[in-house]
Amino acid sequence: MALPITYNLRNVIIRWRSTLATIIGIALVVAVFVLVQALAVGLEKSASNTGDPRNVMIVRKGSTAESSSMVSLEQFQTLHYWPEIARDAAGKPIVSADVLTLISQPRIDGKGEANVSVRGLTAMGMELRPQVTLVSGRWFAPGKREVAVSSRLARRFASFHIGDQFRTAGNTFTVVGEFDGGNTAFDSEVWMDADEARAIFDRQSYSSVLVRAVSPAAALAISAKIDTDKRLPLRADSEVKYYSEQTSTALPIKILGNFLATAMSIGAVFAAMNTMYASVGARTREIGTLRVLGFRRRTILAGFILEGALLAAIGGVLGCLLSLPLHGYSTGTMSFNTFSETVFQFRITPWLACKGILFAITVGILGSLLPAIRAARLPVIASLKSV
Amino acid sequence: MTIPTFILKNALRNKRRAILSISSVAASLFLLVTLQVALRELTLPPESAGAELRVAVRNRISLTNPLPVRQRSLIEKIPGVAAITPFTWFGGKYKNEGGMTFAQFAIDPKALGTVFAEAKMDMTGYQTFVAKKDSCVIGKITADKYDLKVGDRFSLDSTVYPGSLTFEVAGIYSGTPDDRNMLFRQDYLDDSIGMPGYVGMWWLKVTSPEAMPGVIATVEKSFANSSAEVKAESERAFQLGFISMLGNIRMLVASISTVVVFTLVLVAASTMSMSIRERFRELAVLKALGFRRRELFAFILAESFGLSAAGAVLGIGTAYVLYTYGNISQMTHGILISFEVTPRIIGFAALVAALLGIVSAIAPSLAVTRMSVVQGLKTLD
Repeated sequence: MALPITYNLRNVIIRWRSTLATIIGIALVVAVFVLVQALAVGLEKSASNTGDPRNVMIVRKGSTAESSSMVSLEQFQTLHYWPEIARDAAGKPIVSADVLTLISQPRIDGKGEANVSVRGLTAMGMELRPQVTLVSGRWFAPGKREVAVSSRLARRFASFHIGDQFRTAGNTFTVVGEFDGGNTAFDSEVWMDADEARAIFDRQSYSSVLVRAVSPAAALAISAKIDTDKRLPLRADSEVKYYSEQTSTALPIKILGNFLATAMSIGAVFAAMNTMYASVGARTREIGTLRVLGFRRRTILAGFILEGALLAAIGGVLGCLLSLPLHGYSTGTMSFNTFSETVFQFRITPWLACKGILFAITVGILGSLLPAIRAARLPVIASLKSV
Repeated sequence: MTIPTFILKNALRNKRRAILSISSVAASLFLLVTLQVALRELTLPPESAGAELRVAVRNRISLTNPLPVRQRSLIEKIPGVAAITPFTWFGGKYKNEGGMTFAQFAIDPKALGTVFAEAKMDMTGYQTFVAKKDSCVIGKITADKYDLKVGDRFSLDSTVYPGSLTFEVAGIYSGTPDDRNMLFRQDYLDDSIGMPGYVGMWWLKVTSPEAMPGVIATVEKSFANSSAEVKAESERAFQLGFISMLGNIRMLVASISTVVVFTLVLVAASTMSMSIRERFRELAVLKALGFRRRELFAFILAESFGLSAAGAVLGIGTAYVLYTYGNISQMTHGILISFEVTPRIIGFAALVAALLGIVSAIAPSLAVTRMSVVQGLKTLD
């Protein structure tokens, strides 16, 4: 058993010219597969990263996006002083009622506009989101038409850098700071003062309320209390859970990835078959010799399949390496959940790389199966005679 | 034996290899056509009849901010405006489906005869829609998908407004580029759960294409510096604005297409050199017989060109037949609608195939040109 295996393995290296094209072909297929899936992973990661496990997010029942959610002032007053909500050192409840609205802004390349989420929040709201840190400039001062912008978002829009001014809703805003959302959904937001936002965007009510629960049990109690209170047509969920459900945008990308992988792998299987058939054809005599030496058909079969799998595995590893430089690269698209620009990164996880390599090996095995059967079935005498 | 039969015999003498090469070219070209069609669908939505007379008016802040209903009477007075309707996104979920599967908009029922006149529907349906407040009309694709018929009642849970609404199907329309939408009455929404006094946006019909620029300018000017500034634009510009929101998707699809083409060239070229390398001895014999280099080059080129042409016919043909005669909207559950394979896309794919045939002939031809007859005759493998 050992000899044919080393024979097959060494063949991959010795006939490198004929196998190189196949390996690169498989590598490119794997690279495309991994990169498209990395987009889907990145989108899901930015959603599932978001939130603090101690926080409870309260939105209108039935709303799927914060921008279309509504929490009235009375509803907010009702729950503001609930004992399940934690208090700060001064004894004030740790609660933030936010306003989320979308504004249309020109892209940095001048090609059209896109919706951007603007969150109006209070100082308490910023404390509730420790994932967000200021990287340059300063935070906005209430009442001065100032905003802070996520630095990843700033790179994608024309007037979102510190010092820039932009107009919306009849007002001119100045960007005074850039923050880092720590790869969360907040990377896709512009922040300003809550009351100012309510006045400028003419909102009677808030979009959502974020509270810090005193304990995990209290968090559940808040959810239950809101569920049973008829006066509150609201829904409360842990903040982490709320955001991790916001991933439907990733679905079309996943479908695209799977479609591409299927179509490209069919082409790759044909190509691998071609290489392996040629390889079997060129080695007819060697195979005959192995058979004369006493190696069995199934050993030869296994050897050739292994050769195909190895060839493809090299391609798979190469493909992962090819895709690696894009890891962490920031890109953006419109989210179907929020109807606004969502910034996220290519995320190549170890599991995704494994999937890519497994995918390559499958292509290799499928491509070498028929040629290997042919090699195993070669008649001994005839193959020894062949030139 | 004539030269064409010689070439044909050579191309097909290893039938399995020829078939595999053709299939891999076909698979890649199929993918290329699919990506190009998808890209076109995403970036250039089909133009509907009557688009050249329609103007979209939305809140300048963004599409999601509402407009006050008082704007209507002011817009109606603008010369060149023939008709106007509100157009309000309802965001309803059908039964227990996880997400939204078709869009619903609240409109003025008469708009079906004016602003959206290209939607074909029978007269009784139109009359019911104008007469009954809780009636609605739905596109044929959605009607078929959910097996909804005239007279059926169903309800939708709104994700935008609190609560749900029940509708009765008044008619089923077809003939628009996207026969999926459901249209119902703005007054029904206002009475039930909406925000009376506000609408999502306005759609206008102008009297002639020449009147459009003037109408757009006047509408924008009328509400400048008001509490609800508007942006007015042609239907085309409005659609392109939507596409701009998709961001880097276009670049993504374009780069994938490039990788597909590159992989294709690589694999085809390697197969071609493989089959020529095996025939070095024969080519040397041909050389010894007095065939010129340029003739040998022609043999190789014709063979590689023929293989890639066969792959092109198979791959592009399959895509064309599948997307033209297959029901794409059913296959993708209504995500993609027309999926039209245009002559331009066919031409592009055919060009790629032709270049592929030429490029993959280059390396083997160079090898043949360089070899000496004696060396070629000595080659064993």
